[in-house]
Amino acid sequence: MRFMMLMIPRGYEDAAPGTMPDADAVAAMMKYNEALQKAGVLLALDGLHPPSMGARVSFASGKPTVRDGPFPEAKEVLGGYWMIDVKSKAEAVEWASRCPASKNEIIEVRQVQEFSEFPSDVQEAASGFKEMQAAPGRGTAS
Amino acid sequence: MRFMVMVKADKSTEAGVLPSEKLLTEMGKYNESLVKAGILLAAEGLQPSAKGARVRFSGSRRTVVDGPFAEAKELIAGFWILQVKSKEEAIEWVKRCPNPLEGESEIEIRQIFEASDFGEAFTPELQQAEARMRAEVAAGTKG
Repeated sequence: MRFMMLMIPRGYEDAAPGTMPDADAVAAMMKYNEALQKAGVLLALDGLHPPSMGARVSFASGKPTVRDGPFPEAKEVLGGYWMIDVKSKAEAVEWASRCPASKNEIIEVRQVQEFSEFPSDVQEAASGFKEMQAAPGRGTAS
Repeated sequence: MRFMVMVKADKSTEAGVLPSEKLLTEMGKYNESLVKAGILLAAEGLQPSAKGARVRFSGSRRTVVDGPFAEAKELIAGFWILQVKSKEEAIEWVKRCPNPLEGESEIEIRQIFEASDFGEAFTPELQQAEARMRAEVAAGTKG
C-alpha cells in the first residue's frame, strides 16, 4: 500500500519568498530519509518552496482565476512530502512518528488511490492512467 | 523547474465520491496532453482523510490523531508533479485543466526545492549523498 506523508509546518503559510530550511534540521532529516531508503520503503520525496512563491488557480466561476501567493486564508500549507510503500496504515504512522520533526510540524498520513480499487466503469474511463504513471515524461523533460 | 500542483479537497472527495465518467474522460485527455508535452513526472489521487492519520510532534512526544480532519478546503485530494520552464508555464497548464471537482474547486501550484536552491549549506558531500539516495530510490521503484 502506498501512503503519502504530508509535512505541514505551522507558520510556513507566512514564510517569505526564498525562505530556506535550517542546515541542522536538514542534516537530521537526511538521516531519517536514509533510514526510509535503507528499509526499502521510500518511493519519492520533495520539499516545497513557500506558498508566497506559488499560485492558486480557482474554478469557482467556471473559468480559471489565478491568484499569486501568499494566501491569507491558509491556516496550514504543505512544506514537503514523502511517498512510501508499506504494509499498513499502522506501519505508515510508525514511520511518520520516527521523523525528527519540530514542535510546529504535523505529518498527515494519507493512503494513495490505487487503480485496482476503482470500480470497473471508472477503470475503463481512466484507462491509460497506469501507463502514464509507468512512463512519465521524465526523459524528454530533463 | 519542478512544480507540485495540488487539487484541494471538498465535501464530496472527503466523502469518497468518485469522479463521474465525463470528468474522468476529460481528465484522461488532459493527462495525455501533459504526457505528450513531456512534462508529467507523477500524478496521484489520495483516499479521503477519514482513512488517514496525523502525527503531532512536541519534543520527544508523538501524538497520533486518526482522520477525518476538519477544514476540507485545506486538505489535498490529489496532485501532479510537472517539469516546466517557469511558474507562468505551470499556471498556463493548470488553467487548461478541466475543473477537477463537480462544484467549485481550487488548485495550488508550488515550486519544488532543487539541490541547487540550497547554496553553500548544501555541501558537495551532502549533494552526493542526496543524489545517490535519489538514484537508489528511482532504481528501486522501477525494479
